[in-house]
Amino acid sequence: MKNSVRGDHAFMALLAGIVWLCLTSIAMAHASLTSAEPADGAVVQVAPQRFSLSFSEPVSPLALKLVRPDGQTLALDTFVLRDRTLEIEPPEGLSPGTYVLSWRVVSEDGHPVAGSAVFSIGAPSGAAPAVTEADDWPVRVALWIGRVGLYAGLFFGIGGVFASFWLLRGSDRGGACFAVVIVVGLAGTILSAGLQGLDALGVPLSGLFDSIAWRAGLGTSFGRTVIVMTAALLLAALATLPRLKPWGHWLACVALLAGAGALALSGHASAAAPQWLTRPSVFLHAATIAIWIGALLPLAKAVRDGGTGAEEALRRFSLFIPYAVAVLVVAGLVLAVIQVEHPAALVETAYGNVLLVKAGLLLVLFALVAVNRWLLTKPALAGETTAVRRLLRAIVVETVLVLAIFAVAATWRFTPPPRALAIAAAQPASFHIHTDKAMADVTISPGRTGPVTVSAIVMTTDFGALDAKNVSFVFSNPAAGVEPIRRKAFKPGDGTWQVDGLVLPLPGTWTVRLDVLISDYELARLQGEIAIRP
Amino acid sequence: MFRKTMMTLAAVALGAGTASAHVSIQVKEAPVGSTYKVVLQVPHGCEGKPTNVLRVQIPEGVIAVKPQPKAGWTLEKVRGAYAKSYDYYGTPTNEGVKEVVWSGGSLADDEYDEFAFRVYLTKDLKAGETLYFPAVQECSEGLAERWIEIPAAGQSADDLELPAPGVKLLEATGGH
Repeated sequence: MKNSVRGDHAFMALLAGIVWLCLTSIAMAHASLTSAEPADGAVVQVAPQRFSLSFSEPVSPLALKLVRPDGQTLALDTFVLRDRTLEIEPPEGLSPGTYVLSWRVVSEDGHPVAGSAVFSIGAPSGAAPAVTEADDWPVRVALWIGRVGLYAGLFFGIGGVFASFWLLRGSDRGGACFAVVIVVGLAGTILSAGLQGLDALGVPLSGLFDSIAWRAGLGTSFGRTVIVMTAALLLAALATLPRLKPWGHWLACVALLAGAGALALSGHASAAAPQWLTRPSVFLHAATIAIWIGALLPLAKAVRDGGTGAEEALRRFSLFIPYAVAVLVVAGLVLAVIQVEHPAALVETAYGNVLLVKAGLLLVLFALVAVNRWLLTKPALAGETTAVRRLLRAIVVETVLVLAIFAVAATWRFTPPPRALAIAAAQPASFHIHTDKAMADVTISPGRTGPVTVSAIVMTTDFGALDAKNVSFVFSNPAAGVEPIRRKAFKPGDGTWQVDGLVLPLPGTWTVRLDVLISDYELARLQGEIAIRP
Repeated sequence: MFRKTMMTLAAVALGAGTASAHVSIQVKEAPVGSTYKVVLQVPHGCEGKPTNVLRVQIPEGVIAVKPQPKAGWTLEKVRGAYAKSYDYYGTPTNEGVKEVVWSGGSLADDEYDEFAFRVYLTKDLKAGETLYFPAVQECSEGLAERWIEIPAAGQSADDLELPAPGVKLLEATGGH
């Protein structure tokens, strides 16, 4: 028994030796792909009837896979070998989109070789830009209410106090009313900070009692808005105190400027470029709304009370407000143009829809204002009681409309503007690779699935220029079963190496390797990983 | 038993195969302090295209390079200074051939050929290490295959896509 085992070992060692000697004396070659059908990078109009891969040597397949546009991997089991060509039967019913045909074969030298051919049926699948928003409805509704409260505080509260001093000459019109809206504004503003934090952290409403949410909320750009707005509301409240009346004009003025400035400190519109235009536009838009809308409540009270004060106030209102409204409209239009970019986005995006609704309500409001201005103001000034009553009713309706507009505008908190959607979708993904031979900064734009441009700056390890002879990019996604996709880069002339028209079919972590030929005999392989968005 | 034999065979076949899959050197071992004939075996072209140029870099410590001319190929010897002076049977040698280029030929993808040159492996080379002769195949249509990768510490030539042909250095054989 023991002998037999030893005999086996000896026999096998001898056999192995003979085989090894035979094999090493034969010069063998590894296989390389000579053509693929559909070709790598091809866009075909209809689903191909067959796939074929031709190699420089006879091969046998180890694994053949088709990665579908939805990321699912199908094993391709039906194939025929004809000389050096592998003919594969594609699965039935391939829908339009980008596919990856990944192959791993072994040639006669026993060395596995792998690669991928990316092709698209119809057109490359470029997934729609997905901006994921946490759909935590309680938090969203609370945020919305907070935002409406903030607007009410700024426009009715601060605006009202400002109007009572500057349009109504400090007559105390609506003192109690102001107190209520300012408190509402303070509550809305301060609560918004915590809610903003919940939204940022993706925590449910119950997390509001945790200081982390508040710190997170104040840490965002909206935190500055909260702080400045709170200060503005407090200033407006101070202005209404009888003891501070001599300073009331100035307190109200500063409160108005601070309140409008607070809105310019954060939000979609303020964040848009060009900042020199958007921030002042937001400021002017907010300030003029406050001047106009703020005047409604005190004015209604003055008109109801009657007397010379009312007459005076109404006259001033009619005189100055058209200018404020003109500025308001111009600033609003500037922001709308910057945010919406293309008229089609008005219909296609949620942001555009909100803008349309808001504009519609605004038109109704303006119609009402025009009626007031040209039909009711003069008879009311003349003291006609029916005109006064109708004017009052009209102001109440205006106020309700304005509240509706605030409510609509507050939903913008949840709808990224088309500009931001386009920027988010186009955002490149980039990363840095550092090896002991060379370094590279690689940018994939846009950093999401679909057709992309890959660009790299190749440097020496001390950030010096590296004049490479050529550069290739090798993309693979082992987790999704995508074998290496190789592309030779070209020099567009700005010192970078570039590959155009590569289609990245799947999101997720991709392995990117740069093969940098530093000189005839020196090759650096730089490898890194990058996350590709859906 | 049969299964075990087949598995052994397969393992050996795989191991031996990868070593000779690329442009490689025929005699894979040589003692330092000796004259050695490097025979480069070219098994295929580049992506199916014929080879027109073969260039090989002479590593440091390898001197007295004498390439073997080939009919149909133009031979070029690129000379340069060595990093240090080497002893060649008592003669200090500090410059010589650093690159050999065979050009102007045409070796089809489905043909095989060998390119040879004689060298002296100085005793400054370390026995036990592998000496690499990076080689570049230039083909028609601007294609090239570069067998220029040298394994880093902890890597084996099998890990590389484009391993440079190498020869294992042995201890110097005692005297003449």
